[in-house]
Amino acid sequence: MIPRLRVFHQLVLRPMLREPARTALTVFAVALGVGVVLAIDLAGTAAAGSFHSSMDALAGDADLEVTATGGVPDRVAGILATLPYDLDVRPRIEDFATVVASGRTVPLIGVDLLKGGLDRKYGSLTVADQFQSHDRKGVVWIAAGMGAKKGDRIALVVGERVGEYTVAGMLDGDAILMDIATASRDLGRGDRIDTILVKTPAQPGAEEWARRLQSALPPGVEVRPQGSRTSENRRMLAAFRWNLRVLSYIALVVGAFLIYNTISVSVVRRRPEIGITRALGASRAGVLLVFLAEAAVFGAAGAVAGIALGRAMAVGSVRLISSTVESLYVSSQPAAIEITGASVLLAFTIALVVTVLAALSPALEASRVSPVEAMSRGQREYVAQVHKGRDLMIAAILGAAAALAWHGPPIEGKPIFGYAAAVLLIGCSAFAIPALVSGLSIVSSRLLRALLGVEALLASRSLAASLRRTSVLVGALSTAIAMMTAVGIMVGSFRETVLIWMDNQLKADLYLRPGGRTSADRHPTLDPGLPAQIAALSGVVAVDPFRAYETSYQGLPATFGSGNISVALRFGRARFLSGRNAEDVLPELRGQDAAIVSEPFANKHRVRRGDRIVLPLGDRKVAFRVADVYYDYANERGYVIVDRATMLKYLPDPAASNVAVYLRPGASANTVRGEIERIAAGRKILILSNSNLKADAIKVFDRTFAITYALEAVAVVVAVMGIAGALLALVIDRRREFGLLRFLGASTAQIRKLILVEAGLLGLLANVAGLALGLVLSLLLVFVINKQSFGWTIQFHWPVAVLAGALTVVYAATVLAGLYPARIATRLNPIEVVHEE
Amino acid sequence: MPLLRLENITKDYAGDGEPVRALNAVSLDVEAGEFVALMGKSGCGKSTLLNLAGAMDFPTSGRVLLDGEDTSSLGDAGLTRLRREKVGFVFQSFQLLNTLTVLENVALPLLLSGRRDAGAALEKLRLVGLEDYGARYPHQLSGGQMQRAGIARALVHEPRLLLADEPTGNLDTATGEAVLEVLSRVAKERGAAILMATHSLESAAITDRVVRMRDGRIEGIDRH
Ligand SMILES: Nc1ncnc2c1ncn2[C@@H]1O[C@H](COP(=O)(O)OP(=O)(O)O)[C@@H](O)[C@H]1O
Ligand SMILES: [Mg+2]
Repeated sequence: MIPRLRVFHQLVLRPMLREPARTALTVFAVALGVGVVLAIDLAGTAAAGSFHSSMDALAGDADLEVTATGGVPDRVAGILATLPYDLDVRPRIEDFATVVASGRTVPLIGVDLLKGGLDRKYGSLTVADQFQSHDRKGVVWIAAGMGAKKGDRIALVVGERVGEYTVAGMLDGDAILMDIATASRDLGRGDRIDTILVKTPAQPGAEEWARRLQSALPPGVEVRPQGSRTSENRRMLAAFRWNLRVLSYIALVVGAFLIYNTISVSVVRRRPEIGITRALGASRAGVLLVFLAEAAVFGAAGAVAGIALGRAMAVGSVRLISSTVESLYVSSQPAAIEITGASVLLAFTIALVVTVLAALSPALEASRVSPVEAMSRGQREYVAQVHKGRDLMIAAILGAAAALAWHGPPIEGKPIFGYAAAVLLIGCSAFAIPALVSGLSIVSSRLLRALLGVEALLASRSLAASLRRTSVLVGALSTAIAMMTAVGIMVGSFRETVLIWMDNQLKADLYLRPGGRTSADRHPTLDPGLPAQIAALSGVVAVDPFRAYETSYQGLPATFGSGNISVALRFGRARFLSGRNAEDVLPELRGQDAAIVSEPFANKHRVRRGDRIVLPLGDRKVAFRVADVYYDYANERGYVIVDRATMLKYLPDPAASNVAVYLRPGASANTVRGEIERIAAGRKILILSNSNLKADAIKVFDRTFAITYALEAVAVVVAVMGIAGALLALVIDRRREFGLLRFLGASTAQIRKLILVEAGLLGLLANVAGLALGLVLSLLLVFVINKQSFGWTIQFHWPVAVLAGALTVVYAATVLAGLYPARIATRLNPIEVVHEE
Repeated sequence: MPLLRLENITKDYAGDGEPVRALNAVSLDVEAGEFVALMGKSGCGKSTLLNLAGAMDFPTSGRVLLDGEDTSSLGDAGLTRLRREKVGFVFQSFQLLNTLTVLENVALPLLLSGRRDAGAALEKLRLVGLEDYGARYPHQLSGGQMQRAGIARALVHEPRLLLADEPTGNLDTATGEAVLEVLSRVAKERGAAILMATHSLESAAITDRVVRMRDGRIEGIDRH
């Protein structure tokens, strides 16, 4: 029995060190795969996972939160205060302010400073700070790093206006604090506040306290354990994060193909050594372990490099992810990126699991090498048996299973079956590839020989001869290409759909909204008098004030909005799932408790035309009949839209969140814009032309999907590196052949061409297989996975230019990956490699 | 001018410490159509000499003149051209490519030099008696058949010099003799000279001249 370590050294470490370039490529491929998964995990956690709504700032240690759509009437605080319980009631206003000097937007929190009870939750702020030197009006407490210190004056954009405030003291935490009365006045809040935090006695528990308080309050006002909003948001983000995470595993899957290839090459090359060690007494299990250990070495090295890589990539992606979260879901503040013990564990676990699993089959093959067989002389080619027929059978079974999974329902809003179908399809294509390769190489070898000469003949024969190696490489690259194609088609289709939708939906000439930061869950309002003033302008034919409120339905956040039905009927061109016209649907909303809901809302809550939905509005609960479902791509939260008059009945605040302005034909947009600017002088409002708005929207869209493209690109890079590594192995394994060709009159240029043609053939096969698989996967993404996780209907479009460009780049990269191996091959000394004993 | 002229050549290989002198002051002429055997023990420099003669390598000093051209004066492209036009190699272990059919193997030198002459390959197969085996793959042939295919390949582009490095080394005696007979016959037919490394006396017997080598030097030349 030889000590395992020595066997390991002889069979694994030494050969690894002998080919440092190839070893480095393999390790780097694993590292990239691990790095991407880790980066998405870290960045996702920072941007969305450890989700803190900006509004959690300075929330302290309350037990319950009291909220209402449209704001909590401030008399509710009075009701709570008069209840016969020992409650600490803390009304709050929650908004954003922009520091004029830096342009940075931070949460603005208004609390009742008169009431006292300022404890550690306000950081270093002490009661003594409050009134000693300042009047409580016009003072703010700010955090360090906002560019001012105690006693300074600081200019802030609050609501629509810029105000000067005196810094009364410093806070921990990234927020600005002011007295609730000041905040209400400066934000124009009227008699409503955003939330009331309540601290209750410990007994009899939060649930019971929520029940007790609820019974004392109007029905539209909701009492929930503190953090409910945060966890609703977190739940809403779960599907998004989940999809991102799944995408991040693609590079790892591609990496697995490459590990499989690397270990297979090791096993085939070292058959004689394996035989010798077996003859010297190594057990089957020993050989198996040795090769699994080789994979584990690659895995561990890849994990270490992957952690560093992942951290770096996380820094790059956290901004992208958090801007997506902001525009599609909710305002949030990315946390710092932290490598924790858990992330190190994650890196090592996935690296080791993936590499060892990928190595299992070749390692088993190694353990079956019999001592006698392998010691037979001569270099054995990489011609492991491939059972084309059996593989095709497996492919067919996997394909059938994929077809079944295709029709599976979502599970908790996650398209589990959809992803299963994707995995099955990838498996199906992997098993079909050997047949494809041998089929195509028979067809191509004649054609290519005519086109490219003898090098093509040699290249296609050698690819067909080492069918398994070729199939694995084509499998890896085609999987990466397929993912890229599928995501490319999906995003391209989505983009086209959104463009068409915007053309239909956005018919106004100018759009107004409050300046400053926007996000999907924030609806700052404009001056209530503004729409009427604008409507009076001579160049304007109509204005449509849109008002939005945050609400929640069935435990998920949603947006409740209203517009002017008459204007929408005149100008709008909304499209409905039922196929009915706006002229048929919209009049149903007039004077009725009826609403139209957006497609994502309908999908999330399984709501259909004719259903009833109950929303808490002001201090009431109101049931609305769903008149229809409309196509909407603005955000993923979901909208419930009613007529403006209906909304004002329940929430009488007339201010608009944004205003659409329709111009008289022939009126100059610039003139009207100038007039509006004059009317709104001194207020921070944003006036966007129709094309500005669309351009902004598409910019958000593109930023949202930038990360998806980046993930695909990494997968392709991993695959191309795999091709380079594999070609390098191929050069080493076939060096005798290259030497012989030199003896037979081949020039170095011909040897180079031979390898480049081989790389080109691999690329071609992978592109053909990848495009076919990608097309099927794109249908799955568009019609199943996207639909189930986000609830959007996407019209299928071919992004021809993008695809053609991407595939050309991939193809060129594959051929370029052959350059280094080709150089090695031309530098081989033919006399040395053609061994004559 | 002889077909091949080696002028006082030495060949050193860089070893671990001192360089190994594989050939030492060797001079030799081979005339067109001549069959010359290189005899000597393993390691005496036969293969090295063949590689220099075949424009696969340069001498450390001295000149190799192949059909009047000094190999040292040529670049990579020139050497490749010289090999394509003038030299055919026969190997001890046949060196056929497993992924190609026998016919394709034989045609390979033509294909590499950009010529397409299916007739020539078939004709050479007929010459070595393998006309019925062209569509087979090398592993479907016996050792003797493989070497005959190797000979056909070495001749397919009508070279003037055949270099054979222990062509019978991997064959049993009877098969080896048959192969040698083919080699000598076809070379005569096509007017090609043969320089053959061997260490068996029987092999040397059918040649025109035997060059005896020892430790990188020519020890003596016997004419038959
Ligand atoms: N590439 C090489 N590097 C170093 N030494 C070599 C090399 N090729 C041959 N030799 C040495 O040159 C000498 C002659 O070798 P060779 O020509 O192969 O002899 P033969 O073919 O007669 O057996 C031997 O000592 C051998 O070890
Ligand atoms: Mg020799």
